[in-house]
This record gives sequence, C-alpha cells and structure tokens, in this order.
Amino acid sequence: MSREVPLTTAEHDFIVEALKRNVRLDGRGIDELRPLNISFGDEYGHVKVQLGHTSLIVLMSAEVVKPHSDRPFDGIFTVSLELTNMGSPAWENGRQSDLEQNVTRTLDRVIRHSNALDTETLCIMKGQSCWGIRADVHVTNYDGNLIDCACIGIMTGLQHFRCPDAVVKDGKVSVYSIDERVPIPLNLTHRPLTITFHTFHDGELILMDASRKEELAAEGDMVIALNDAGQVCAVYKTVGRPVGAVDVMRKTSIALQKVQEIKNTIQKALDDDQSKRTRRNVGVEANSANDR
Amino acid sequence: MPRPTATLSPLLRADGSASYTCPSTGCLIMGSVNGPIELPGRRDAQKPEEATLDVLVKPGTAQAGVGEKYVEGILKGLLGRLLLGRETGFPRRGIVMTLVVSGGENGGKVRRGESYLPILPALLHTLLLALLSAAIPMSMTYTATAVAVTSTGEIKGDPSVRDAASAVSFHVLAFSSKGHLLLSQSEGSFDLDLWEQVYEHAYATCRGSQPVTADGDISMIEDASGYNLESFVRKTVEDQIHHDYSWMNNDA
Amino acid sequence: MASPSILLPGDDVLLDLRSTTSTPLKVGAGLRLLHESATSTPPSYTVTAIHAGLLSTDNKRNAISVLSFANHRYIATINDLVIAQIHHSSLDYLHCIVTPHTPYALLGQLAFEGATKKTRPVLKPGDLVYARVLSVGVGAGTEVELVCVNPATGKAEPGGLGPLVGGMVFDVSVGFAARLMRASSTSAPGDTDVIILDELGKKLEHKGGFEVAVGRNGKVWIDCSSNKDIAVQATIAIGRCLTETDTCNLDPIEQRKLVSRTLRAARIDP
Repeated sequence: MSREVPLTTAEHDFIVEALKRNVRLDGRGIDELRPLNISFGDEYGHVKVQLGHTSLIVLMSAEVVKPHSDRPFDGIFTVSLELTNMGSPAWENGRQSDLEQNVTRTLDRVIRHSNALDTETLCIMKGQSCWGIRADVHVTNYDGNLIDCACIGIMTGLQHFRCPDAVVKDGKVSVYSIDERVPIPLNLTHRPLTITFHTFHDGELILMDASRKEELAAEGDMVIALNDAGQVCAVYKTVGRPVGAVDVMRKTSIALQKVQEIKNTIQKALDDDQSKRTRRNVGVEANSANDR
Repeated sequence: MPRPTATLSPLLRADGSASYTCPSTGCLIMGSVNGPIELPGRRDAQKPEEATLDVLVKPGTAQAGVGEKYVEGILKGLLGRLLLGRETGFPRRGIVMTLVVSGGENGGKVRRGESYLPILPALLHTLLLALLSAAIPMSMTYTATAVAVTSTGEIKGDPSVRDAASAVSFHVLAFSSKGHLLLSQSEGSFDLDLWEQVYEHAYATCRGSQPVTADGDISMIEDASGYNLESFVRKTVEDQIHHDYSWMNNDA
Repeated sequence: MASPSILLPGDDVLLDLRSTTSTPLKVGAGLRLLHESATSTPPSYTVTAIHAGLLSTDNKRNAISVLSFANHRYIATINDLVIAQIHHSSLDYLHCIVTPHTPYALLGQLAFEGATKKTRPVLKPGDLVYARVLSVGVGAGTEVELVCVNPATGKAEPGGLGPLVGGMVFDVSVGFAARLMRASSTSAPGDTDVIILDELGKKLEHKGGFEVAVGRNGKVWIDCSSNKDIAVQATIAIGRCLTETDTCNLDPIEQRKLVSRTLRAARIDP
C-alpha cells in the first residue's frame, strides 16, 4: 500500500473542530514549528535531523565524475530521496509514491535550480572531470512535513560537508584523501529553506508544520521557500482552495522569521560540531607530533 | 576487543527497529521491520501457507546495485530457516525488513565490485534485533562474526575494512543460539584445516566457548572476559525490556 | 511473582509446568509447545519462547505467556475487543481496517444488536465500530471476522459493542492497549499498574465525565461531548496523558502527577 490509511471521520472532524478554536493536538500554536534537533555523525556531511517525530538522515558524498557534455564547466549535484518501508509501513520498498515525487521535485527546485550550491566551483578540469556531489536522504520516521525536514537536512549537509582536495598536474587529476590534505568546504551562493503550510476551513486557517494527521485532514498545502537574505525563492501551491494574496504576504513574513530561527539552529549545531572536531584534532595532532 | 553498541526500537512508526554500531568497520546500521503486512504490488508475495520475506539493503551514499541484491539473498536465506512464517496472521502477508548502512569508511558505501562480507555480521545483528523488537516469531536467535586470515597465516577476528582488503581469505560465519552453523561465506584461498581453525575462532567469538573438540587453554581465555556476542544480544534485549517494563518493577 | 525472567526466541521455559484436569496448561502469546513425550510419566513438556520478552505467569489460570516489546503489530486473536475503521461496504459485509496495511477484516451488515435489513446501522467509510474478533480463519484464504453482537444471545455483549459516534481516537502501542484492558478487567483497585483512566475519570467527573473504549489493536476512543464547553481541551488532555504514559512507561505515581499537571496546563482542573 503506497498511501497512508485515511483518517477516521472522528479524527478528521475533531482535528478540524479543534482548529476552529486554534487548538492543535500537540498543544502547539498555529505558527509554531515542532522541536527541531540537528546532530552530526563522525564523517563530514552526515546529518541527523529530527522535527518532532519526523526524523531523517542525510549523507553527503563526493566522487570525481565526467561533467555533462553541454556544461563542461559545471560540476554535478544530485539529491536522492527514496522512501523506504522504514519511514512508514505505508511505503513500499522499490516503488515510487506520489509523495516521493512531490518532495523530490520541490527540493530540486528550491535547492538545485536556485543554484544554492555553486556547481561551477566543482569543476576540476574542463570537460574532463568534476566533482559529483550527492545528497542521500534516508527517512527513518515519518510524521508529516517531509519537505521542510529534508530541506533543513540537505542545507545543513551542504554546509557541513568537506570535499577532498583535488589537484591537476600534467593533465592528470590526483585526489588527496582527508588524512593527507585539509578538505575544502563547499561554495554556497545562498541558503534557501522551505516552510510548509496547510490550509483548513476554505483557506481561512493556514497552519505551519503540519503533523501527519493534520496533513491528512487538510484541504490544501502551500510551500514558501526563502533564503537567509530574506528573498523569496519559490511559492508553491499544488492542491486546495485558493489563498488570498494578503494571506500569502502575511505568511511569508512569518515564514521569514522561522527561516531565521532555523538558520540559527543550524548555525549553532554547526558551531558546536566544529568546536568538538577542533578539540579532537588538537589531540590527534599532539599525538602525531610526538610520533615525528 | 572493541564492543558493538545497539539500541532497540529507536523508531516510532516501524513495528520494530534497531540501530547498531560495528566497532571494527565503523559502520552504523539502522534496521526496521514491519510485519505482517500486505504487499499489494507483489503477486509472488502471496504464498498461501507462509509469510514472504522482503529484505532491502540500502547503501548510505549510492543507489542499490548487484552487491546489495546478493547480500539480500544471503540474509533472506538465513532468516527463512529461523522465522516462523506459518504462525497465525502471517501466511499470505509479508515481513518487510529495511537496512540502511551509514557511516564507516567511504561513508558506508561498499564500492562497486567490492565485497559486502566485512559488514555482513553487522547487518545480521541489526536485523536480529529489529526482528526481536517487532515480535516476529522466531525459532531461535543467532550471532555472526567475520574472520580474516592475513598473509602470514594469522587468524584475525573483528577485521576492519582494511584488514579485509589485505586478507588472503575472509570468512563470515553465523551460529544459532543452539550452536548450529547457519552460514559460512568465504572468500579467497584457504584449505580445510585453516577453515577448521577459523570455525573454532568464530565459534568462540559468538558463543563464548569452544566447540566440543576444542583446546582447553583457549576456552579459558575467552571465559575470563565473560563476553561474547550471544551475551551481547541478550544484554541488549534485557536492558530494553527492563526499561519498557519499568512500571511493573516499581509496582511489585 | 518470582524474579522476572527474560526469554529470547529458542529459550526453554524452565518452570514446572503441569496440566491438571481442572486447570489445563494454557500456553499464551510468544510461546510454543515443542515436545510432549507421552511415554514418560508424568508427561513432560518443552515450552519454548518465540518472542523476546518477559515471562508472565498466571498461577490461578495456569497460563503462561511472553510479554514482548510494546510497539509490535497487532495480530487478531479470537475474542479480542478491537476498534475497527470502516473502509468500504459491500452487500453482505462491512470491510474494516483493524491493523493498518493488512487485508480488511469483515463485519457482517447484520452483526449488530437487534439489526434487521431495515434497522441495521448505516455506516459510512471512516466510521468506527467497537467489535469483537469472532474468527481469524484457519489456514490460507480466510479473513478475520468481527461481530458487534453475541451470536448466542443477540445482545451487544460485552457491553458497548457497536458503532462509536463522534469523539476522537488516539493511537497507542499494542502493549499499552493490553495494559489498559487488564486494568479495566481487574476489579480490585491497587492491583493494577495503569490508573490513568481512573484518575482522569475522577478529576473530570464533576465536569460531566467522558466515555472511553479501548481496542486491543492499539486504539483508544474518547468522547467528552457531555461537557460541552471544555470538550476539545479535555479530549486533547486525555489523549496526551495516554500517549505520554505509553511512551515514557510511567508507573502509577508518575501517572497521577501527569494527570494533575496536564489538566492544570489545559486549565480544566484548578
């Protein structure tokens, strides 16, 4: 079964009724995110994101590949998101669902097509070799709002990842492993993040960061993507009643606040991890100095 | 000896799940089990008398390929003998098992053409713990270990990925909790005498004592630490059960 | 009870198990009878675990079972009370969801108290019923069948079977649902380990109380519509108490604290 079990009438009616009084099942406000927790694994670009009960792992990797023949100066950046049975029993292994397509397409547009990662800096040798950067998203627990959670994960991964150093010598590319040379952070042009809203009561009520049950009860959705400079990168609305222009403006300004909040959370997580690594490296270097 | 660590039921949505860190290869594996559930898109999954096993191994930073299919086959073959797929509620349904490999050297990616054997024991242990967490009926549990034989003929337990790459022969053995040999996968060149030694070493690592024909001295050394993989599995389960039933202990 | 023993699949139950004529040995969930040698006297059994979990013994009923991890999937067992969701309706049957992503369970259109072709309840997809598992089928090709009536008497027995109208349903783990059921079946207070519903009932009594139905399939239905003005807050408060007791494995003392804390936060109980 590639779709979630539909809500019972009781659940649907109750959620909608409670929202009339601005009450949500988990006691959150209408424009409030669930608790966000970001942590890192041992390697660069291994990010774990938890947004309420929705959790996922992002793994970044780099490989030397041949650039596309029509863009010899550009590197390649791909986002791979495959929903497995791990995230939800509703998802079938090896079968693409609508949700997967929808999320992949939105992430592609927001992150890839907005050139968040400057692919020109990934070029090693014109038309011959470049870096292929890959972001793998593994959804471990699904409880709604996959787009925002995955977007946070990938953007954090891009900032956390370090690409090995590659040098061209006499027309030959040699790559230095992470132990040999200090790896290089990726070059980002801007940092877009999405905030997803869901609409209820004929577009009267617009809700931030819906849980799985709220998503099922909602009439429609709206995704607003903003970068840290406050520029709107994209606004998507796929289904549901029309939302007035004033509401979109109002929600965009709220989304901007949230994007800043998320950005700060990401920055803090990155800083913490950096200081942890520095401490460890100092230890390692002291040891290796002794060896010499 | 570096010891593995594991967490039972870290995920909410899945019926059963486990995360496992293998110290020698550094890989981190997350496993989930859902079952018995319907596999609607799969006509072949409707076996009238028993459950269908579906295993997916997902590499951390690559698309799944032939290597994953191969190791899925090994896992399915082993579990087919241990899972009781004929219990009530299981026939015509599926037990879906998903394993995600992350961390470790190369970010958990087993390169094209490279062997999956070094992380096979970790996959097996993750799967076992996830199955126990999902309360899938099993006839017995198992443990598995990898053994590398170096060019000098030394037998090395818990080999790292680098040890595996330089080994003359490489073996993965799995034993049931009753002592049966469940799995023996070997690579490289070796003779039967060497395999016997490997078998004894693996048996001791998994079960803590030597098989009946063993040499007394070695068995003493293993007993001194009192640690083996079987006791690790048992301890992990016991800790989680104590945690889950903490309300009961306070009441008594 | 002796010190709790934890079993892994394949472990033998090392208890002196006897089947007497008055109370035959009942081997419950998570265990199987492997071997019974009829030649030796008295007959000996080997009972082996197939789940990992805590061995639970009931000396009065001479029953043993293994309590496994709480989060596992519900498998229908005869006589269990479940909360089923109607998926669609056909000529003779209502097709219901008892466990997500498994084949539908069947509920006869006339399997309700006093139902005839004209008086049967009309249920739409998404509606809920409180039902009893009549049969789970033997071998291949049979479905789980539910009833909302005792076929022998024609009454909704045990009480409360039938459609559940309004209210809200919360998901809990299968293990916790079993605990709630056990708590409601034992009469002696202080004998149980989940007091959350009793405690909530006491606190909300003067506000009009609430109705509750517990399904073994991990669902709890709550209806607070009798206390109009605070119905929504009260329902959410009850739901959060249940979920938290479930996920944090709270003991009775902590449950009591949780109830007062949650009700205070919801501004229901001063």
